[in-house]
Amino acid sequence: MSVDDTPQTEPPTEEISLTVNGETVSAEVEPRLKLSDFLRREQGLRGVRVGCEHGVCGACTVLVDGKGVKSCLMLAVQADGSEITTVEGLTGDGGALHPIQEAFHETHALQCGFCTSGFVVATKELLEENPDPDRDAIEHGLADNVCRCTGYQNIYEAVERAADYADEGSHGGGDG
Amino acid sequence: MSGSEAAPDAEPEAAPESESFTGQSVRRFEDRRILTGEAEYIHDKAPEGTLELALVRSVHAHAEIESIDTAKAEDHPDCELVLTAEDLKEHYNPQPCGLNGFEEWSLADGKVRFAGEPIAAVVARDRYAAEDVAELVNVRYDKLPPVAGASEARKDEVLVHEDEGTNVPDSEHLTFGDPGIAFEEADHVVEGEYSWGRVSGVPLETAGAVAEYDPEGDTFHIDCNIQLHTLVDDTVFETLGYDPDDVYINVPPDVGGSFGTKIAIHRYVNLVAMASHQLGGTPVKFVEDRVENLQGGDVHCSERDYRVRLAVDDDGTMRGLDVFFTDDFGAWPHYPINQVLKPLSVLTNSYHIDHAEYEYELVLTNKTAQTAYRGFGVDPHHYALEMVVDEAARELGMDPTEFRRQNLIDPDQMPYVLPSKNVYDSGDYPEALRRIEAMIEDERDGGLLDPEVVAEKRKEGKYRGTQPSVVIEPGVSGSDWTDRQRSDRDALADRTPDDADELPEHLRAEVAEDGTVRAYLATDSSGQGHQTLVAQLLADELGILPSDVAVDYLDSVDAPTEYGSAASRMAVMLSGAAEGVGEELRENLVELAADYWGVDPGDVSYRDGGVDRVDGDDRLELSDLADVDAVRLGESGTYAEFDYPHPARDVPEFDEAFARKYPVYPTAAYGANAPIVEVDVNTGEVDILEFYTVRDCGTMLNPMIVEGQAHGGIAQGIGAALMEEFAYDDNAQPTATTLFEYLLPSIKNVPDIEMDHTVTPSPFTETGAKGVGEGGMIDAPASVATAINAALDPLGVTADRLPFTPDRARRRLREAGVGPGTDGEGGDAVTDGGGSGRGSHDGRFDHADSAGGDRR
Ligand code: FES
Ligand code: FES
Repeated sequence: MSVDDTPQTEPPTEEISLTVNGETVSAEVEPRLKLSDFLRREQGLRGVRVGCEHGVCGACTVLVDGKGVKSCLMLAVQADGSEITTVEGLTGDGGALHPIQEAFHETHALQCGFCTSGFVVATKELLEENPDPDRDAIEHGLADNVCRCTGYQNIYEAVERAADYADEGSHGGGDG
Repeated sequence: MSGSEAAPDAEPEAAPESESFTGQSVRRFEDRRILTGEAEYIHDKAPEGTLELALVRSVHAHAEIESIDTAKAEDHPDCELVLTAEDLKEHYNPQPCGLNGFEEWSLADGKVRFAGEPIAAVVARDRYAAEDVAELVNVRYDKLPPVAGASEARKDEVLVHEDEGTNVPDSEHLTFGDPGIAFEEADHVVEGEYSWGRVSGVPLETAGAVAEYDPEGDTFHIDCNIQLHTLVDDTVFETLGYDPDDVYINVPPDVGGSFGTKIAIHRYVNLVAMASHQLGGTPVKFVEDRVENLQGGDVHCSERDYRVRLAVDDDGTMRGLDVFFTDDFGAWPHYPINQVLKPLSVLTNSYHIDHAEYEYELVLTNKTAQTAYRGFGVDPHHYALEMVVDEAARELGMDPTEFRRQNLIDPDQMPYVLPSKNVYDSGDYPEALRRIEAMIEDERDGGLLDPEVVAEKRKEGKYRGTQPSVVIEPGVSGSDWTDRQRSDRDALADRTPDDADELPEHLRAEVAEDGTVRAYLATDSSGQGHQTLVAQLLADELGILPSDVAVDYLDSVDAPTEYGSAASRMAVMLSGAAEGVGEELRENLVELAADYWGVDPGDVSYRDGGVDRVDGDDRLELSDLADVDAVRLGESGTYAEFDYPHPARDVPEFDEAFARKYPVYPTAAYGANAPIVEVDVNTGEVDILEFYTVRDCGTMLNPMIVEGQAHGGIAQGIGAALMEEFAYDDNAQPTATTLFEYLLPSIKNVPDIEMDHTVTPSPFTETGAKGVGEGGMIDAPASVATAINAALDPLGVTADRLPFTPDRARRRLREAGVGPGTDGEGGDAVTDGGGSGRGSHDGRFDHADSAGGDRR
């Protein structure tokens, strides 16, 4: 990216190596580089959205070793050695939508879509912990993600539908 | 059991059973790219070699700039460029303002007028480096006393703009009917003061722009998420000093929300364009961070102090309305400023009141400027009006719902001409009120509002209540009236309706080689699903599938000047435009086919994605027609464009509004809400237990999208009523500069929304649809506030100041003698109709000390 860097501006860097959406990645990064910027700028994973950069909106949510993390609050160097999943990692071969993505589409749980990656990833974590969440559990699980467009009504529905799909999946495609 | 639950709001994308796609919940074509992370928002745009810009912003609210020392910044090896007002003044122009006579440069010139005002711009290889460089710019200030509120500013002791000579550069006092007599003769005059906190849309995506100057063509190519890019492009090309045709403004198909707020991001657009220009064409990008957005992004909206009077008779008849308010616009009257006038389009809300006065003062203070926000000034109006209606019901000792019902405009009166000359197209308000009451009936009997439950809860200090009302959403704004404040108002009396100049809605469509159809919108979108809507509409026009229609966007040069996506316009304007362009395209295709067959156009007809010979001999599908057209000389036979004229132009009832430049909004959608609230008098917290709503927006083009808009609007309305506020301290320093202080409703704050619909088609629009984008934000704050009034009625406390935050609620309760732990107060569930009435007043307000004072 940078062009004619003279020695005195050469920022200090550190080597990191991590797994991003199943692929091993090694990179030299500035210690101050946010994980969100590393994923967006250096890994081209622009589905990681940045809405506040101070940990409130949740648009930047990714899974780090299976746990939902606000990637704007983490430095790339802190993610060294970990396994990261972004919304891009959910999409299946040939662009097939993940059941959570499909459920968001079917229930109109997105409008401008800027919060959507974060919600989809947070839903993945939620359903892994609780495959059949009631409304309270959904509220609790998604309380750290802000959506300014949908009023959340259809997001409840999306999560419930995604849970149904997962359920059908584990029962071999539903019971007819 | 599973697998068969085709929800009513989620029809598949296959051919419909019914005859049309319009009216069905066709799922959105926008979704896939968003869900997979592929959507390219402005934040994602970065052409090869892009540099990034960062801003040096004022730390003071009001100060002379003594000096700006950029030497250290320029010495930084990463620094590519530093700009200050001095550079701008050498090459460019000031930014157009909402009022004439203001000279605003994109960077502060000699003086700063709000904390967060940009003073210098620096460019470096990336944002990290640019911020390093920006820190080296040294600004020396000479502090001035700041003005932190409208009531103080109106005294004109400290001037935000000395040249103006006043902090109130715009005001108007309008009289409709004979309010003097109405107020004199009425049995009661009820008066109230209400305040509306400074709020805004705060979309999740901040503003951003990437500009590339082309030295060869001497043109600018700008990608940005500005809203209304075909209307407000003048704020960019005029500032740059270029012709409109040399400044290409392009908005990505995906914008992460705007709600009106991105109309006024021209400062950023100008700065990246200037920077790229100065750097000889290197692309330059700026993305606002959230703190910049909240503190100094020019995107706040209405902050109003109201004094409202209502003249009523003993029998409950509303006779006159008198509205006065101040609106704190911050440091600059940025375009748009007509939010102070839009309430005229719904002046008396759903009530029949013949006589009215309306007066506002637009006040300048040391805060970041206002722009538009969903509702555009109507939301505070309805709030203030519904508050005084409650006050009047109390004074009369009438049930507040009965009082409202008695004054509702009757369906027989439709179309209804308001005293302020806008026209309500259609609606059955008494029916909406009846429906919402029926919806909450169960709650009163064994539910959340069961008298026993209510009494039981009060013992814990939890007061429940609700207040049904009918609230109007004006839709499909005209454009001609919007420059009233820049017009010679004295000359308006002599105008005729024909003097009004309305902008049409432009739409293009062409048949692609493969027989699919490509449409081009001349407006930008920010999440409303316009691509889906137009695909639905054109599919019906052309007898094809929505998935056979691809919808794209025109840049500001390619598109004609038109209004665009604001003011609940698009459903109506796009359906009119789609109908027109569909008809035109069909005609062209018929001619093309007739020409090909060498027969008379009367001998062929268009049917379901192709043209037939009437004699049944032959048929050309759209793809065949594209082939035919490709080898033919002359004008394209597979292309059409259409300009849909504004629907109010044909309706004589609007003539007077057009002639006088009063707000013209030809559709009146409405909502009847009954949120059930619970106020904890010990903590001051307000919990909305369930939000009931009946909505009518005429014909629903895509019910799924309509409901989504209502959900989102209601959530924003709840935020404005209870949580959100850009507060400032006495030094005019903003106290809400992160999302920790500017509180956006989370999934925990938004209750279940129970929604029902009635459908009263508009007689004024092609499809019967009414504008619907702003609805919930327009009606929910008034509904939440009056529900709080109902809940706290036994304690004589009202939600006279929004947001009704816990500390404000506690203050009001303390003033009323209700302290934490005094759970005996009003514990017997008696509804006390008296007590808090304000008594009658004669004469209008003494403006010197009215409207504003205690804003706590
Ligand atoms: S961008 Fe990370 S929480 Fe908002
Ligand atoms: S869809 Fe716009 S923020 Fe959620």
